[in-house]
Amino acid sequence: MSTASPARQAPTIRSNLALRVSVNWLFAASAIGVSSQSVQLQKELTDLNSHFSFPESRRRQSRRSLFNALASKRRTDTQWLSSTSNIAMHPAYQTIIGMGSDALPTILDDLRANSGHWYWALKAISNEDPVVPADRGSIKSMRRAWLRWGAAKGFIRA
Amino acid sequence: MTFQDPLVVLSPHFPQLTAANSRPTIPYDEGYNCIAWAVEDTDRWWWPDPQRQQFWPARVPRQVTLAAFVQAYGLLGYARCAYASIEAAKQKITIYTSGHGKPTHAARQLRDGWWASKLGEQIDIEHELSARAGPEYGTVAIVLSRAMRP
Repeated sequence: MSTASPARQAPTIRSNLALRVSVNWLFAASAIGVSSQSVQLQKELTDLNSHFSFPESRRRQSRRSLFNALASKRRTDTQWLSSTSNIAMHPAYQTIIGMGSDALPTILDDLRANSGHWYWALKAISNEDPVVPADRGSIKSMRRAWLRWGAAKGFIRA
Repeated sequence: MTFQDPLVVLSPHFPQLTAANSRPTIPYDEGYNCIAWAVEDTDRWWWPDPQRQQFWPARVPRQVTLAAFVQAYGLLGYARCAYASIEAAKQKITIYTSGHGKPTHAARQLRDGWWASKLGEQIDIEHELSARAGPEYGTVAIVLSRAMRP
């Protein structure tokens, strides 16, 4: 009869739930009012649990898929428009702005690959503007300025 | 790609556009829009956006109003004109507005009386004036003209 120890099992919903219950229990204990260390421990366990349930790599992939779907919808619906304001007010465009700074690398990747009217979003999210006044409206120059900005900030490779 | 293909794509947006009243000219180019193309600027996208990302003449209010657009074209010598029909030695442009009176589109008259339009970031076409009216751009609100330049 084999006595080998059982193979390590992949996390299941049940084990995940158990971890979450433990975290909640610890949180309850810390809420009674103990040390700052226990609060810190609780926070780290919460982060660990969150990471365990939904790893960062999967989050990135999910964000990118969502971005691609929204960008495609925006392009289809606004391709005939001259109004930059109407393009930027499209619900898909607004959702991308709502993704905040997490979306910057994806927007810049898309700007590099497909160009597109991302200047409003980039400025709205970053609150910066690397485009010099003389280049306003010059799509090639604006694209170059934002890609240079993205590389300098470490959002994309140079 | 034949013109039939873009027509199929365009028809829901511009129901009056047909192969008889329009022809494609320049393929996709997102570097400029119809407002720029009306004055033959193919290097910039013109729009008075509040984010100040696009080109707009410095002395003109950054407002999406017919008055601001007329003022912008006025800097290039255009003034209000009564008719869209072709006139010797005159260059004409039209501004379209939506139901809310906001400018949506501009077109430039060609020597044969047809009009040149850039469709957003998409293709350029030439067309009869009425062919562009529809839900996407609204209707012609004003015609501007200036003396023909060489």
